[in-house]
Order: sequence, then structure tokens, then C-alpha cells
Amino acid sequence: MAPEPQNIPGHRAVETLVAKLRRRQVVGSREAALETAIVLRQVVSKARFTNIQQLITVIREVGRRLAEAQPKEHSVGNTVRRVLHNVREEYNSATKGSAASRNVYSIGKFVLQGQPRKQSGGAAKSDGRITLKENDPDDQDSFARALKPVLMEAIQDVLDELETVYDNVSKNAKDHVHSDEIILTIGHSKTVEAFLKSAGHYRNYTVIVAETAPSYQGHEMARSLSAAGISTFLVPDSSIFAIMSRVNKVILGAHAILANGGLFAISGALLAATAARAHSTPVVVCAGQFKLTPLWNLYHEYGALDFADPSSVLGFEEGKLVERVDVVNPYYDYVGPELVDVFITNDGDHPPSSVYRLIKETYDDDDHEL
Amino acid sequence: MAPAATLDVHPPNGPPTAEPSAGQPKSQKTMTKAERRELQEKQRAAKAAKTAVNGVNGKTPGKPKDQAASTGGAAKRAPEAQPKTAAPAAVRAAEKAKAGQASTTTDTMGKNQARGLLIFSHFGLPKPVNAAKGDIHPAIARLALQFSTFKITGANARCIATLTAFKTIIQDYVTPPNHTLSRHLMTYLSPQINHLVAARPMSVTMGNAIRQLKLDISGTDFDLPEQDAKDALCRQIDTYIHERIIIADQVIQETAGNKIKDGDVILTYARSSVVEKVLLEAHASGRKFSAIVVDSRPMLEGKRLVAILSEAGIQCTYLLLPALGSVMSEVSTVFIGAHSIHSNGAVYSRAGTALVAMMAKRHSVPVVVCCETYKFSETIQLDSFTKNELAPLGDLFSSFPNNKPRESLTLENQPNLEILNPLYDLTPPTCVTAVVTEVGVIPPNSISSIPVALGRLL
Repeated sequence: MAPEPQNIPGHRAVETLVAKLRRRQVVGSREAALETAIVLRQVVSKARFTNIQQLITVIREVGRRLAEAQPKEHSVGNTVRRVLHNVREEYNSATKGSAASRNVYSIGKFVLQGQPRKQSGGAAKSDGRITLKENDPDDQDSFARALKPVLMEAIQDVLDELETVYDNVSKNAKDHVHSDEIILTIGHSKTVEAFLKSAGHYRNYTVIVAETAPSYQGHEMARSLSAAGISTFLVPDSSIFAIMSRVNKVILGAHAILANGGLFAISGALLAATAARAHSTPVVVCAGQFKLTPLWNLYHEYGALDFADPSSVLGFEEGKLVERVDVVNPYYDYVGPELVDVFITNDGDHPPSSVYRLIKETYDDDDHEL
Repeated sequence: MAPAATLDVHPPNGPPTAEPSAGQPKSQKTMTKAERRELQEKQRAAKAAKTAVNGVNGKTPGKPKDQAASTGGAAKRAPEAQPKTAAPAAVRAAEKAKAGQASTTTDTMGKNQARGLLIFSHFGLPKPVNAAKGDIHPAIARLALQFSTFKITGANARCIATLTAFKTIIQDYVTPPNHTLSRHLMTYLSPQINHLVAARPMSVTMGNAIRQLKLDISGTDFDLPEQDAKDALCRQIDTYIHERIIIADQVIQETAGNKIKDGDVILTYARSSVVEKVLLEAHASGRKFSAIVVDSRPMLEGKRLVAILSEAGIQCTYLLLPALGSVMSEVSTVFIGAHSIHSNGAVYSRAGTALVAMMAKRHSVPVVVCCETYKFSETIQLDSFTKNELAPLGDLFSSFPNNKPRESLTLENQPNLEILNPLYDLTPPTCVTAVVTEVGVIPPNSISSIPVALGRLL
């Protein structure tokens, strides 16, 4: 039973966010994830439900509307799935007192048996079992009242994790970068920027930033890194292959990490990764775990396509050319898992081949399709 | 500190010719060896005393000069030379002046500053074209200006422009008395060539053409009257241009055009004069194909190519280099031009060509290089660092889009930030499928045998 849009508690906040996403006023996957988590917190706090299934349906409906507003912004859907996973976990630990997952078919269950489950703060925080009465006819709100504090904490966990992404990714930066290294990066990923600045406190090395036309985000990155005292070179994208023979590492940021270990990154990342593979240079991707997406298909080259403004490529000052020539300006590239060596996330380092396991642990199978 | 030290360094045995010798009673030649040595010692002692007195003062004016030089870009080689000469100079200064403390500490500071730049220091930014020294023919002066402002670009265009200018010079040349044309003309041309090289490093095509010209000059008949000799030389230059560039291009147009079939999607990068001719010819002969032009900073030459192709009626798509991954799966053939080809088949071409060839190889798209035989180079280059050229900083080519704020795009060299715009890169032979020349379609590994097979030196 899908609730009407007006019946969703806090629907005004949801509508605002939907409008912002559709108009692309939310810039950056972390911003989108933060806003989504905040909206979900509002929805859950205002929600009225008598059993867990109602709450989950409400959250899924909200998530579906948000994801449809901007399908290329995968972090929105990821945050919704994360919240759902946490909610279910809280509910399970509250009722059964065990941290077992609901899914009986999950291969993750085999992986997790015998392994300490990643603590999302669920079982430890709820002291003992909360007596829950589902579908109580006398007091319709008792179930919700009892469960809400715990759910709020769960969502707060998600928010906390999002806010500390940069610090956690840069924790081991100095172990990945050694002195006198030459590192190539493209685009302006804030995660990579934090990573490099943190390594810059301990090590003396050089960064080469590619301009990444036509957004020219590389200029921002170069300015910010050089202001932090790291010796920086700014080169146009055309010289990526030329300088690759001297580069020790390539560090990229990601827009979304896919279930097969591949990633969507800013266009130009595929060039850098392929050139690095041609020179046997390691490719490192720095991203927060909120970018892990359970979606996957065979046509990622087309799935990555999100076209941006062509006037950055061929502006209207070219006049006659504009009407005769097709101009293509894709914003994202798909980089296959065979080109990446390691993902450095706020939850540790992982090779591309184990991304599927991370996804199993972080999300529930039911939520892959919102 | 370091610049001051380099100026002080002079060859151990030679007399210090750079010294502003105020009122030397005898010329160096007439002094005996002992007197010369005495003079040297006196000057060295005076200098040592000066450095001991000045100490830090003498070094700090050198530092800002160091920075000005590296940002001006004119003395790009200076940072490289400084650490080399700084070490022996520092040792000498420490011994003689006994002011070793000051010199070594400022030395290491200078070295740390230049450390980040060392790896690219041999690239050499173009030096500003100074006023013509000596007898520079006006045609050469004009040509040098056109080169340094990138009004004439492209290997073929530069070579033809150079040879045409040389024809003018040769016609204006008058053999001085007691000299023969065949011996003197070359010495007359050398400073002209140096002026051109100072404006922009010589292209391989120019080098090959000049070598052929030198051969022709030294082979001119001694008995020929001057005007006839000059006319013969001009005719030889004309033949060179005609045979090895114009006719060669026509043969390449036809051969490469045969590789284009109806319905093909042809991808090309930047603007090669040969590929432009191939595509226009193929379209004129009625083949239906569409073109994708990939372009990139710093020069953004592809825009001009797109204008020409779309004017001719070819359906074009235009995109920038980072978007290449999204379209490569649609492409049937890649045509690229070359600045020069080395004996191992490696293609030295506009920066970005290597990326295009590499992506094409990854998608199993054939890469065809269109190149005349006069572009072959006997050397072998291993990577794009051995020999390259940097474009001057600033928006010389108006290559930034208008819809971005200007201040974010016009970055200058700041402390810790340096901007490099290499103009060329090297495509490894493994990425190239075939090379179309006027003598046929050959695989890249066989390039070294072509000059031999043709019975030519180059």
C-alpha cells in the first residue's frame, strides 16, 4: 500500500529536496547524501506507524521519489538504502536481541558468520530488549514511540559517518604516499584533496593535476593544493600520456562505485586510468562508502552518460559552427574494475574484487530496487 | 646565491673573458704564461675577498633574480645548470672565501626551491625573440615572429615557409669577393637558422629540409656563374617542396582515401594538414562518412578543422579529449598526422595523440598515421620527455570557454604552482596499426628500412 504523497509525513521537506535535485541545485554526492539523510530523519521523526513494515514502505516511497528526481546522483539512493538497512537492524536487535540479518539467502551471511559484525551501534545501544507491541489496537502510537529513539540514533550514525568521511579516508594517507613521489590526479574531488593535504603534512612530494576540460576543475584543485604547500604542476589533459612515464601513482575520485568494482568518475578518468595501465602505474581511488551503489548492468559506458552544457566545448561565439556540428559533453566516464588497484574508503582499503562483499554488508538485498 | 656563483665560475685554464677588464695594459695573447697566471690569481683573490666581505648581501640579490628567471621562463635551463655548478662553486667559495657557511646554506635553500622544477627543467620554454642581432634577413625576422606567435603551425607549413624564406635569401645573396658560393652560403645561412631556432625549436621537417639544402649547396658546380647557381638552388628547393610534400600528400590522399568506406565514422585529433586533405578528398570523391574531431588545449586546433570539414559538407562531431572514452566504441578508423616518425615506428605528434591511439587500441580500432617520407627521423626517442616543447603561458590560443569566470582560469606561476603545456608527445609503435606514406602503406616496425629501400639518406 503506497501512501499518497501528501500523507507522507514531512512531505514538504521531501518535495523541497526533490525540486533541488531535479534542478541540480545540490552539487556533489556528499551534499546530496547529507541532505537525503536529513530529510529521512525528518520523515522518520514525523512518521506514524504501527508495525515496521509500514515504516519501511514510507521510507522506500520517499527514497524512490528522491532517486527518480536525479537518477544520476547515486548517493541519494545509497543513503536511503543505508538508512533502511540500519532501521531493519535496529528493529531486529530490539525484538530478537541478535544481530542476525533477516535474509536467509544472503551469501553475506556465510561471510559474516564467524566474523564480528561491523558495529553500527545497534545492539550495544539498546539496553536489552524493548517490549514492542506491534499493531496494538488500543494505543496505535506505542510501537512507534518505543522504537523512534533508537531509529533516530541509527540515522544519526549515518549522518555522522557522512560528516567524517574526509577525515577517515585521509587517516592512512601518509602510508600510501612516500617522499619525492609524483602523483597524478584529475578533477576536483574533495576526498582526494583531503587525502593529499593530509599526506602533505608528513611527506614532501609533487602532484601533477590535469585540467579536466571542459569543467576545468583541475584549476581549483591545483590552486587549493599549492596553497596548502604541496608542490603542484598544472598540465592540460593532452599531456597525460606524455608525463605518465614519470608518474608513480594515479589518485582518482569517484562519483559512484558500482557493484562489479568499476566506478563512475569525471570524464577524463578513463584516459588517466588506461594510460596508467599502459605504464603499469598503480591507480588508487579515494571515495567514501556512501558512494557504493548496488546497481550494475552490462552497459556501463552508456549508464555513465550524463550530458552537460555543450557551450563549454563549443560556445555560441563560434556562430556558424554551432548549427552544423554536433557537440558532445559527457560529464562522467565509466572506469572498469580491471583498471583500478585499490579503493581507499572511510572504512579501510579494498580491492575492486571485494566490492560486492562490501555491498552485501552495507545494504539489504530487498532494497536494491527501491 | 647560485646565479652569482655561476657568473663567477670560469674555466680553470682559460683567461676570464667575461670579466669587464678595465684598462688591461697588455692583451691576453701578448702576456707570457706566468704573467697570465699571476693576473688570474690576483683576480681570484680579489673576488674571494669581495665575496667574504659581501657574504649574504651579495647572495640575496641573486635570489630574486633566480625567481624572476624561473617565472619569466627565459632561463629554464638555469635551474638545471645551477645545482650542477652550485656544488663545485660552493666548494671553491668555501675554500677560498672562508665564508662557506653563508654560501652552503643559501645553496641548499636554492636547491630545495628548484627541486620540484628539476624534472621538467630541460624542456626549455621558448625564449622571447630578442631584436635581431647581426644581419638577419627581414624575411627571416618576419618568419621568426610568425613562429613565436604561433601564426604558422604544423610541420608541413613550417617547412614550406622556411624553404620559401630561404629562396628569397638566396636570391638576395651576393657572394663576397674571395669566397665561393658553395662554401660561403652555408655560413651566411647559419645565423638565420639560429634566429629561427631561437624563436621556436626546429621541427624535424625543417631539419631534414635544411640538411638537403646544405647537401645541394655544397654540391653546386664551382664554375657556374652566380645567378645560375642561385637559380639552380631555388629550383632544387622547389623540387623538394613539390616532390616530397605536395605530390606526396596527393599520393597519401588517394591511398588513405581508399581505406575510407561508405558509412564509416572517422576519428581524428587536433588538426593535421595531411588528414584534412585526405578527408576532403574522400568526401569529394563521393564517399559517405562522418567525422569526429577530438580537440584539446593548449592549442585547440581542432576547431579550425571542424570549420573546414563542415564547410565542405561532412557531418562532424566535435568533442574534447576527456570525452573520448564515451565515443570510441562508435568509431571505425582513427586517422592521425605526425610531426615526425622515428626509426622504431614511434610517432612524435601533437600532445594528446598518444591518448587517442591508446584508447583506439583498447577498443580494437585501427590507427592509421598519414606521414610523408621526409618526416622520418633517424633518431629513436624513448618517451615524451627526451625532446619536447612547452607552449608559452597565458591564453595565447584563446582556448578557454567563455562561460567560465576568467580569474579561475588564468593561473600564473605561483610558489608551489607551476603550469606546463607540453606541445608534443610520443605514441609507442604498438598503438599504431599502419603508416600511410607516398611509397605505400607500411607497418610501423618497418620504418627504419624505408630510406634504405629508397636509396636515400633521409
